[in-house]
Amino acid sequence: MATREVISNGNELAAKAAIDAGCKFFAGYPLTPSSEVMHELSDLLPKIGGVAIQMEDEIGGICAVIGAAMTGQRALTATSGPGMSLKAENLGLAQMAEVPLVCINVMRGGPSTGLPTRVSQGDVLQAKNPSHGDYKSITLCAGSLAECYTETLRAFNLADRFMQPVIVLLDETIGHMHGKADIPTAEDAKAAIVPRKRFDGDPKDYFPYGVEHDEPAVLNPMFEGYRYHFTGLHHDKNGYPTEEIETCRKLIQRLEDKVELHKDELESYEEFMMDDAEVMIIAYGSVSLAAKESIRHLRKEGIKAGLFRPITIWPSPAEKVKEYTDKIKKVLVVELNIGQYHGEMQRAAARLDIAGLFKVNGRPISPYEIVNKVKEL
Amino acid sequence: MSNTKTLMRFTGVGGQGVLLAGEIFAAAKIKTGGYGLKTATYTSQVRGGPTVVDIQLDDEEIYYPYANDGEISFMLSVADMSYKLFKNGVKLGGTIVIDPNLVHPTDEDRKKWKIYEIPIITIAKEEVGNVITQSVVALAIANTMTNAIDKQVLIDTMLSKVPAKVHDVNKKAYEFGEKYAKEVMAS
Repeated sequence: MATREVISNGNELAAKAAIDAGCKFFAGYPLTPSSEVMHELSDLLPKIGGVAIQMEDEIGGICAVIGAAMTGQRALTATSGPGMSLKAENLGLAQMAEVPLVCINVMRGGPSTGLPTRVSQGDVLQAKNPSHGDYKSITLCAGSLAECYTETLRAFNLADRFMQPVIVLLDETIGHMHGKADIPTAEDAKAAIVPRKRFDGDPKDYFPYGVEHDEPAVLNPMFEGYRYHFTGLHHDKNGYPTEEIETCRKLIQRLEDKVELHKDELESYEEFMMDDAEVMIIAYGSVSLAAKESIRHLRKEGIKAGLFRPITIWPSPAEKVKEYTDKIKKVLVVELNIGQYHGEMQRAAARLDIAGLFKVNGRPISPYEIVNKVKEL
Repeated sequence: MSNTKTLMRFTGVGGQGVLLAGEIFAAAKIKTGGYGLKTATYTSQVRGGPTVVDIQLDDEEIYYPYANDGEISFMLSVADMSYKLFKNGVKLGGTIVIDPNLVHPTDEDRKKWKIYEIPIITIAKEEVGNVITQSVVALAIANTMTNAIDKQVLIDTMLSKVPAKVHDVNKKAYEFGEKYAKEVMAS
């Protein structure tokens, strides 16, 4: 892709990506540190014939986005942890009814209202299972300013491909830091849009949920003559509620398999100085920036450290992690929570001796803290 | 830390507009082909909470977006509570500019750092004639003392971020900031 240089912050870049991805609808409620996403879209969307609505609360935000998405539009909401908690129930509805949408969460300290202006990565496990029940979350995590743009762009395409919500995790640091980003041109971003599938046959042959065992539903835009029922209850191929044993089992298994069996389409990670690494640091989001800086210091001192940075964090790049952790003895997970991804990395590595460096006081982890921890390993 | 890096810190209280100066510095450095990054830390108080802006300018790519404590060579402060909270990020012998009407360093502080007193808010209010130009006065002081960015590039960047009708008053603010900075450095 051809690129352009922009000077901006992460939240505004995410908003810009939504526009270039063809998003025409935003609904949400301002919440620090995510508010700039909404501010920017309130400015940009009306200029292109789109709509940005401040709803009565975060629940209203996701509900309006579900409605917009069902008309065939690309739609976005953005919030922070407390808003994710409020949106959880309807994220579950969108999983069950297979409504594609993008939800940006700019993480701050939690639980509850926590530390509104401070950085955290405390919502990583919440992103995996925001709502009750079985489904497979798709969650992308930006680790640079440019990725606030590219991952939001990718999220829209993945939402339409897999017909489900895609969560984009930023954090306060990434969302608010202001600097240079080389991002794809708007033309290239538009050219990369893959619209959701639609059924063009006779409406009487249309069964939106009557798809293969590993495929997503095909939801035609409403009001175009293709009728179906929309529900959070277990449903049949028309969307009507059912308790028929096999239909129920197959539905939930399909929600799992449409993602699980196509993980290769989702996998994304960065390997930074991993070629000869004898110490593997695993970090994501803004913490990976501190990790890269720490690796500069460690390498100067002759310690061969490298960074493995998951970009798609759910599903996690477990197989790739294991390839490395089978070879590298010293592995350190660094994150701004008490080991939320550490647990997943232990599972991926099938090792309980993965070290952790965690912080939960709303302050960033500095490169020197990582340097010191690596030296202790 | 790379040898080509300039680390600056602006501190004040929420609402004073110290964030803008950081964005201007970062943008100006990027214009010249380098890397510039601004991060801000503030509290959940809308106004009145301590605010700190870290500015990193480098010819190499910047990864970690915050200034590491002990590496900052220049700090400017227009609020006492923020000064106290964040002064220890400045390396020994580093430069600190304070507004003497608002910030009160100890004698020990004066031994550790080169502390210059410039009444930034008063200059903006009375000499420039508009208190909101304080961030441009601060910008000029910081650049004059650190020589971080070509003056004209910085002024052009600054003007590109403010409405045309206030260009003249902001140019004036820059000139005053530069003049005072040169005066205290010469004294």
